[in-house]
Amino acid sequence: MNSDGTTRGGKLEKFSYDDQIVRWFIIATLIWGAVAMLLGITIAFQLADWHVNMNLQWITFGRLRPLHTNAAIFAFCGNAIFAGVYYSHQRLLKARLFNDLLSRIHFWGWQLIIVSAALTLPFGLTAGKEYAELEWPIDIAITVIWVIFAVNFFGTIIRRRERHIYVAIWFYIATIITVAVLHIVNSMEVPVSIFKSYSMYAGVQDALVQWWYGHNAVAFFLTTPFLGLMYYFVPKAANRPVYSYRLSIIHFWSLVFIYIWAGPHHLLYTTLPEWAQTLGMVFSISLWAPSWGGMINGLLTMRGVWDKVRTDPVLKFMALALTFYGMATFEGPLLSIKSVNAIAHFTDWIPGHVHAGTIGWNYLLIAGILYYMVPKLWNAKIYSVRLANIQFWTATIGLVLYVVSMWVAGITQSLMWRAIDSTGKLVYPNFIETVVKIVPMYWVRAIGGTLVFISFLIMFYNLYKTAKSGSIEAEPVLEAYALNSSSEEPNAAAHRKLEGWPMIFAVLSLIAILVGSGIELIPAMLSQKYIVKMSVVKPYTPLELMGRDLYVREGCYLCHSQTVRPMTHEVLRYGKASEAAEFVYDHPFQWGSKRTGPDLARVGGKYPNKWHFRHMWDPREVTAGSIMPRYMWLFDQKIDYDILKKKMSVMQTLGVPYTNAEVEGSVDAAKKQAEGIRDNLMESGVSKEVVNKEIVALIAYLQRIGVDYGKSEVSQ
Amino acid sequence: MKLALEHFNRPWLPISGLIIFMICFAAYTYWTFKKENKGVYDHASMIPLEEEKNERR
Repeated sequence: MNSDGTTRGGKLEKFSYDDQIVRWFIIATLIWGAVAMLLGITIAFQLADWHVNMNLQWITFGRLRPLHTNAAIFAFCGNAIFAGVYYSHQRLLKARLFNDLLSRIHFWGWQLIIVSAALTLPFGLTAGKEYAELEWPIDIAITVIWVIFAVNFFGTIIRRRERHIYVAIWFYIATIITVAVLHIVNSMEVPVSIFKSYSMYAGVQDALVQWWYGHNAVAFFLTTPFLGLMYYFVPKAANRPVYSYRLSIIHFWSLVFIYIWAGPHHLLYTTLPEWAQTLGMVFSISLWAPSWGGMINGLLTMRGVWDKVRTDPVLKFMALALTFYGMATFEGPLLSIKSVNAIAHFTDWIPGHVHAGTIGWNYLLIAGILYYMVPKLWNAKIYSVRLANIQFWTATIGLVLYVVSMWVAGITQSLMWRAIDSTGKLVYPNFIETVVKIVPMYWVRAIGGTLVFISFLIMFYNLYKTAKSGSIEAEPVLEAYALNSSSEEPNAAAHRKLEGWPMIFAVLSLIAILVGSGIELIPAMLSQKYIVKMSVVKPYTPLELMGRDLYVREGCYLCHSQTVRPMTHEVLRYGKASEAAEFVYDHPFQWGSKRTGPDLARVGGKYPNKWHFRHMWDPREVTAGSIMPRYMWLFDQKIDYDILKKKMSVMQTLGVPYTNAEVEGSVDAAKKQAEGIRDNLMESGVSKEVVNKEIVALIAYLQRIGVDYGKSEVSQ
Repeated sequence: MKLALEHFNRPWLPISGLIIFMICFAAYTYWTFKKENKGVYDHASMIPLEEEKNERR
């Protein structure tokens, strides 16, 4: 039967669905979801009490935080996406997945990537770019597996028995195309070794590419695939068609076109060109319309079955997920308005916003989808509706505690940072005052996160018992008519025809995202205007370069920014506002997105070497009340000079003006600078053995940050 | 082209992006809400609900 209700001629074919692969992805979703949330609450407690870092380098906040975000986004949500997509895709197209072997390679390849992340990030093997930390061999593996997914996905479309491509599949197509573009462009890096690479972009360019990627990872990994899943599973659960199919078409094209422009709102008030910032802000505000269009379309699909929302766990989780989607997508554009962003950026308000989306929208929608799929795939009834209800309320209360505590913390931080008295001085000149003030909120957040984790464990148990009580039957044989000319609609409207041409549809989706990407990125990539060099700004010395890599390894950028915004209170607190030319040798940029600790853009020369030495040994020796972990291993581990020449050489390739002589003599130069720092430290009683330890390289870098321009006579 | 981009301060580029969006938006909104398409979209919206009752034998 056709979607228009007519019976057509043609060959009646027998087929079955590959549900085993869906089951595998569901199991992986549950396992990785638990891991991601356990990591989340671990780092939440580390912020509340630094002792939880346990003085072990592999589990410090800076190393676990990227693992948490990667696990939550790519492992938990990624596996859930694949489970939901493979389940719905087959049924919407009346076709088995293109190739069983590809499905299995996809599954095991993705799990291998996740395990690789878990084995590298705690060891500090990171590219140093948020949400894109994985090193280049894993980046290549991601590309390969994503292509396999795409082949399997589009191959299924080609073998479909339903002419019309349902709206959910449009969202999947946009996801596959855009994630591929984002990942490839942002992962352009030059390898130094198997575990180390430098971003091809530097400074402002790197920041723009990174946040174009970072924001659209949210858009096209955490939003569009889940909207596709919403358009399939909400009508299924409600047993009603989507409220407005026409609205879904408007929703799709508007969202895909607009979302891609919004990245620069992560860089407001930075040295990114003003036009790009404004563009990011305007399109972010425009996102209100399609986002709420989708949210309203989902919620109104439940019209007439609101009584079931009260009793059916599937609909209950979906209704709450859509509500949180509405709230998060209201808050996002709000935070993109420059005047609001000036208050909220770098504060805890942002993680609060992010988790309203990832927990409220992604986790709760996944819960609804799993409660729908598991009973069907294991031929069972939900083990306990009561447990599902307990999970629902535990997750809701936990999330509210999380979000509200972060709002309070964020606004408190911001007001304290910018408080200036009548004499024009900062009211809270010591940054630590603003940290100590919000530690109670970190405890509330950690408790809220724990409740969310407990809710997940409840679901894990409930679904396990559900599956255990059921049985997996042999794949049922289905029948449907093959597509042939009788299913074509020669007089249909243009968009209707387009919906039957998936490849052209995919190309148009690609064009839609390339318009915004091209307008934002190409000028920044090619224009010399944004990388004008200042004569006072020199490349890092070899030792400073080594120190910078340690800064990246330890994830310092996750708590410290490196960019001073042109605001009175920031200039008073830190020094000269940053200039684009300061970052031309920064591969990758290290501006950060959060100030758990103070900005470091002008930290060079601010304190003596001994201060940094003591601070890294135990931050509380020099800053009472600090929540920063200790970095004792920097005092034991030796500087790896063997790789230095290669690093310098790669930097040279990337355009950093090192001479061949400087590359050749880099090890000697680094050792000489280390001896200078050692001599200085010895004056304050430090042992001479420190000379070849990592702490010396890190001190060299910290003492260099922002000095060239910040301490120069060059005026703003 | 490169020279133009090297001195990029042309607001017409983002504005033209906005115009492209507005034109596309108007076009697909028009096509979507054309009266004669209502029937096919109503049927399309039923696809997720049809799959099992019609296909399982």
